[in-house]
Amino acid sequence: MSRGCALLLVALALTGCATVEPWQRGYLAKPAMALEPAPGMAKALDKTYAAKEAASGGGAVGGGGCGCN
Amino acid sequence: MASSCTKWILWGLLACPLAAAAVEAGSPAPKITAARLNEPGNLVFAELRGQVVYVDFWASWCVPCVRSMPALRTLYGKYRERGFVVIGVNKDMEASERERFLRRFPVSFPLVLDADDAVAKAFAVKTMPSGYLIDRAGVVRQVHQGFTVETEQALAKQIEVLLQDKP
Repeated sequence: MSRGCALLLVALALTGCATVEPWQRGYLAKPAMALEPAPGMAKALDKTYAAKEAASGGGAVGGGGCGCN
Repeated sequence: MASSCTKWILWGLLACPLAAAAVEAGSPAPKITAARLNEPGNLVFAELRGQVVYVDFWASWCVPCVRSMPALRTLYGKYRERGFVVIGVNKDMEASERERFLRRFPVSFPLVLDADDAVAKAFAVKTMPSGYLIDRAGVVRQVHQGFTVETEQALAKQIEVLLQDKP
């Protein structure tokens, strides 16, 4: 019985898998699916963060802590 | 009783939909109907028998389609008088995306919609873009997955060969 329950759980887990058909991959190409949807804004925030925290290099932004470069 | 019930539930859960048989060279072309995009009515694939047909699955988000669509337009213009036709099956989710792409890369060959995925499923499309070259007898002779300069050159040669067969 416990073996049956285990199999049932595995089967339930398998049904959670979804297949994305080749023609459905347009959804993955949408800007909302990007790791960073607004790279320019992210860079500006990184720069501000590095300036305010005096954490040069921490945000992968060059320059010192003055926020002027 | 309980184990018998579990067994039935398991079979039910594991009964995944069987993958459609892939359409390969040598397979008969699927006989389907699709709504036309650039004119009213439906396109019945079986009515294209007697022509050399290239069924191309494309979408605006498909990067190689930027190369394939102008190339297919050129091939269609070159060979249409001899009995060659391209059918472009659009797989965009949004009409605006498709229209923007077509403004940038206009084509003159017939386009069809596939909102219910019936055409893509009938051909068991494995990648985008995919192209199926069908001879005058309705048999798939070549399947192209992806599109490069080499694909275009090979396709032109294959079309020439197939057009030599008399209907």
